[in-house]
Amino acid sequence: MKHLRPLNQKASRIAGQIAQPNGDDVVALQNPAPQPPKPHIPMGCSLSFSPGWEVDSAGGTAGLCQPVERDIYDCYVTCFWPAQVPDHLNNYPDWASKCAAATKDWRNLDLVFP
Amino acid sequence: MKTLLSILALSCAAAPGATIFMGAYPDSVIVFDEGKGQVVEKIPLVTGLPTSMRLSLDRKTIYVTTNDHSGLEVIDVATRKVTNHFVLNTPTKRYRFNGGVPDPQGKLFYTVTTEMNKLNDRYEIGKLKYTVIDMAQQKVVKTADIAKEDENANAGYYGRAAFEISPDGKYLYQFRDKVVILTADDFKVVDRLDLARPDFADMENVGFGGLLDSIGEPGKHISLFNAADPVVHNRMFGIARFDLSTRHVDFTPIGPSPAGMAGLQVAPDKKNAYTVITTGNLGTKRCEFWAFDLGRNSVTSTMEVPCRSRFSFGMAGDGKKLYIYGAGYEIEVYDAATLKYERTWDLNNDVTGAGMIVLPTAGP
Repeated sequence: MKHLRPLNQKASRIAGQIAQPNGDDVVALQNPAPQPPKPHIPMGCSLSFSPGWEVDSAGGTAGLCQPVERDIYDCYVTCFWPAQVPDHLNNYPDWASKCAAATKDWRNLDLVFP
Repeated sequence: MKTLLSILALSCAAAPGATIFMGAYPDSVIVFDEGKGQVVEKIPLVTGLPTSMRLSLDRKTIYVTTNDHSGLEVIDVATRKVTNHFVLNTPTKRYRFNGGVPDPQGKLFYTVTTEMNKLNDRYEIGKLKYTVIDMAQQKVVKTADIAKEDENANAGYYGRAAFEISPDGKYLYQFRDKVVILTADDFKVVDRLDLARPDFADMENVGFGGLLDSIGEPGKHISLFNAADPVVHNRMFGIARFDLSTRHVDFTPIGPSPAGMAGLQVAPDKKNAYTVITTGNLGTKRCEFWAFDLGRNSVTSTMEVPCRSRFSFGMAGDGKKLYIYGAGYEIEVYDAATLKYERTWDLNNDVTGAGMIVLPTAGP
């Protein structure tokens, strides 16, 4: 390969990479598996306004409960799912008082107009 | 013969199952009769939504924390009545806490709180603190700073490491990446045992009451533990028994750790135990029941189970049924011997993450 030499900047970077000794050549077993990048989702139910009404921690919907109404109450208890539900702790403590099972009775949830 | 059959049928129909207590939206505790397979009572809570439940050491009272106004309610198991309730919030002061443990006499409640003060021009958010709540005075009577190295483990809300208390009420224990032992008087760290870590990754039912209720052995903490060998740090899991009185740990490795494990449910015979393990994530998530023989500390059978995105794991009072419940309004019932699905119970009410307390039927 000595007869090849880089002519532009990109080729120089490639050549530089090849020339460098690979520090990760020997991978110890304790190295954790690489994690795929995750979307940044702001903490807290009311801070995030996403189109649709909720996404899971990876930005998709595969991790949501099915049907999604199963998740709706935990949005205000744990704020784990960034959905737009009324502020139960401060301003609308009764918004769900007529709805014991969200999957069946979600029509009884109060509409809230802040 | 016909009479005999009738008597047998009657006795089977009347066979009492256990009673299950579950926190429910928006502000009650459901009482579910295993024998009848239906909700028999709802205990209304004055202070709001139940976020955690804790059974007293004598198994006669249940301590419920609620989040609307940072409340505590005490339920008498025999009468199913609320005997004490109060809130910690005031117009200018709020607390955040979830879970805790009562002392053996039921006079004090130990927990971790965040205090928020409303000042003239701003809110002041306090640091996490170990907290003692006096049940008679109905207020916080003591707080103590948390050592810097223990702050992360106590941060968050559902992620807080749960407390256990020694039978004499002198020591508190937190089981996490270490076993931290504190004096109940002043929360001074007495010891840190750096070998064990209960692993409840990806599970909803973390760190409070229900995980241990099926054991029925006060003074012992039996759990699935994870550990890593010191050379290549390969993760393995096993069954560990921690004696709260002598602090003796008996750790038996079983095999490589799966990605996530629910709490260990130990049958009343103390010979069989069960958990749910998960592999994969989100759309590729798979779940399996694992049954253990505690005598030989080995896995005796496994069975794939369709798992919900979030769920909690419980067991019947006699150890013959396994339950998968939450988030939602149903309990899926599986046979513990065959690990096969049997039926679904409709609670007609969403349950919270407060867990499940299963007790022998002894109600009104």
